[in-house]
Amino acid sequence: MTLRLNRRRFLGTAAASAAATSLPLRASAATPFTMQAAWINDAEFAGYFIGIDEGYYAEEGLDLTYLSGGPDVIPESTIIAGRADLALTTPDTTIKAIAEQGAPFKIIGAQYQKNPIGIVSLVSNPINEPKDLIGKTLAVPPVNVISVNAMLALNGIDPSQVNIVPYAYDPTPLIQGEIDASLDFTTNVPYTINQQGVEATSFLLYDFGFTIYNDTVVVTEETLATKRAELVSWLRASRKGWDENFKDPNIWPPKWADTWFAGTGRTIENEIFFNNAQQPLMESPAGYMAMTEEGIDANLRALSEVGINGTRDMFDTTLLEEI
Amino acid sequence: MAVENSGRWRGLRTALVLLAIWEIVGRLDLVAGGALPGISEILIRLWVDWGDYPRHIWATLYASTIGFVIGNALGIGAGVIFALSPTALRLFRGVNIAAFALPPIAIAPILVLTLSGMAPRIALAALGVYFVTMTATVIGLSQADSRATDVIRAYGGTRWDILRRVQFRGALPSILAGLRIAAPNAVLGAILAEFGGGGRWGLGAYLLGSLGRGEPDRLWGIGLVATLIAGLSYGVFALLASRTIGATRAVTLNTAVPDAAPVTSAPINRIAITLGTIALPFLVWWAFIKLTGVPGLISKTPLGVVDYLFFAPTAESAQNRLLAALAETLPITFVGMAAGLGFAFLLAISSRLFPRAIEAFMPVALVTQTMPLVALTPLLVLILGRGTSLTLWVTISVTFFPAFVTLAQGLALVPRSAEDLPRAYGAGRWTEMRMVTIPASLPYLFAATRLTVPRALLGVMIAEWLATGKGLGNLLNQSRGFLDYGMIWTVAAVSVLLSVIFYQAVVIVERRVLRRLGMATAE
Repeated sequence: MTLRLNRRRFLGTAAASAAATSLPLRASAATPFTMQAAWINDAEFAGYFIGIDEGYYAEEGLDLTYLSGGPDVIPESTIIAGRADLALTTPDTTIKAIAEQGAPFKIIGAQYQKNPIGIVSLVSNPINEPKDLIGKTLAVPPVNVISVNAMLALNGIDPSQVNIVPYAYDPTPLIQGEIDASLDFTTNVPYTINQQGVEATSFLLYDFGFTIYNDTVVVTEETLATKRAELVSWLRASRKGWDENFKDPNIWPPKWADTWFAGTGRTIENEIFFNNAQQPLMESPAGYMAMTEEGIDANLRALSEVGINGTRDMFDTTLLEEI
Repeated sequence: MAVENSGRWRGLRTALVLLAIWEIVGRLDLVAGGALPGISEILIRLWVDWGDYPRHIWATLYASTIGFVIGNALGIGAGVIFALSPTALRLFRGVNIAAFALPPIAIAPILVLTLSGMAPRIALAALGVYFVTMTATVIGLSQADSRATDVIRAYGGTRWDILRRVQFRGALPSILAGLRIAAPNAVLGAILAEFGGGGRWGLGAYLLGSLGRGEPDRLWGIGLVATLIAGLSYGVFALLASRTIGATRAVTLNTAVPDAAPVTSAPINRIAITLGTIALPFLVWWAFIKLTGVPGLISKTPLGVVDYLFFAPTAESAQNRLLAALAETLPITFVGMAAGLGFAFLLAISSRLFPRAIEAFMPVALVTQTMPLVALTPLLVLILGRGTSLTLWVTISVTFFPAFVTLAQGLALVPRSAEDLPRAYGAGRWTEMRMVTIPASLPYLFAATRLTVPRALLGVMIAEWLATGKGLGNLLNQSRGFLDYGMIWTVAAVSVLLSVIFYQAVVIVERRVLRRLGMATAE
């Protein structure tokens, strides 16, 4: 903890103005609360950035600390280690950890009603559906290999017919033709590729039977017992942030060029595209962050195809009801 | 002096020629459809992106500097204790070998799990520094001029007086030489931990964020900046060393874990110390977990790993996955190591036959050693693909240079008189090589082998993690994603253990062979 504070202080002095604005707003007498995001700062977390910048969390009495994620951050580890109260995760790894290792997690909300990951390929060598993958080289982050295998099996394809290699979230091999397709966020990567002057196409795993959420809101059972009120406050403020964001998805990304998005190496246009593309994947008749019974059921069914045996009691929808 | 200067100019000239070739090849997009941009394109991109850099560079410098300071404090402190107490040195042999042999990639995920914020970066940087500085300190202190220590003793000086007035002064050149190697190690360690540790700032984090952009010119730019920082840190201490002591030393240090002189003591004592040597690394592991206070679900003690691997319900699946991964990783590690050593040996021999050509090649070799592997590998994928050849090239590139330097030093030390003998009998250069130089370099070949063991495993695992999706590297990466903490610790423990065992095996073969040939171990 002291190390992190030292780092903050260091960064603050090293780049006073810009770094300072990226620090979480701190209101006095508010309850400290830490969230671990699932990825580096991008439009995927716009709702939370708005909540912090516009003081929605502060209004709820939360002094929110936001921890960025990245390809090598395992959000669940952060909450087990007690460094964050809440994490955004992928439901397959979370449910696998609960089912197989007895990890004490509960899922209390879901950001994406439809998982944005999909198969991205070039229009010049298009892969429009699972069976097009046969005999092709597909780059997949090692974590997602089971999801891809499940999607292939659901569509009657033997996974050994596809050459799966590790994916480092770099579109270059795809653009260069070294691989035929990659598994990535369809809200984001096709645009990044288009910026390189090459046209990309994609389809969602969700649309081919792998019907899971993404960025599920996960807490430990202990946090659920001791910080229930804060968790409800967090959900309420986050929903407000997302409501605000989608009033006009084009407004917010440019405002964060020098704060949240500084130094990520991506363009603001890319984030605007992302923010627009993710809206249909997040909308739910029950409001943002919701989990419906049909949705939960679809998750459990898809995961059981992969041999991950989740149960309804791993989800707790009662906090959402309290919003 | 004149010869040395002309060599230096030659090096510069070659570097310029290579840069020109790079520029032409890059501009014409000859390599992998533009994956290797021209040097000017990279520099222009660097200029455009420059606004992003200061904070990333600061974060990397911050972690590596603190790690450097901590690692050196530990290294010098431990070195002093070891120099004073042969028992302590013997007791800590296991810990020291482990510190030398552990592949950083295997323990980076563990540090990230158990420590928070900047601490994993600092720890990995400090680890890269500790062994080098500790060894340099022990060697420096034990080489004190016995006449000077006698004078102090004769005047009634204490052990501390000797240490302070003679040994430390005598050890300074050795320690400074150690710091030169330690400095780039700290930078590379910090970047490796950044790459696997999350966080917003740092060159490793920037590299990760930029991977998703598909812009090779920026990736190369980040790689070059990282290389430059690592290279500069070496340069700063090289300059410091030559300014303060007016001496220059070799590029690498000896790879032998300092060994205490054999003491004839009771067998019981010897056995106790041997057991202690083996137990201590595990004790350090256990203490580390207790001190960090991370919950048992995430952090596994040595017993936890044994349980995971042998007694848990999932033990059989864990064993199978581990054995399958080892079967993929070990063969290529040995092949890569042999190829790296062979390449280094050939180069070292050629450097005797064609010294000019090799001198010219050195600056390039030095640069490849300071470029972070995590930055280099994604770029190599675009050129070499994802097959075995990629893994081999990564492994050769990390092993051959240190091995080459050690071998070249060894060859340079062959006594002139020994070389003159076959020549006097009319032997040609090759015959002389075969009969004198190559046999004489055997101790250095062993020293080089010791040095390449952990590096080869590091190279293979990084290639597997980032590119080929096979073996231990991939198992480690996948286990992280699946929250399979038992496997993360198991892979880390097994890879460190393998490195240590292999290192010891080389040491044992080395002692036997050299004793039979009546040669001394090379330092």
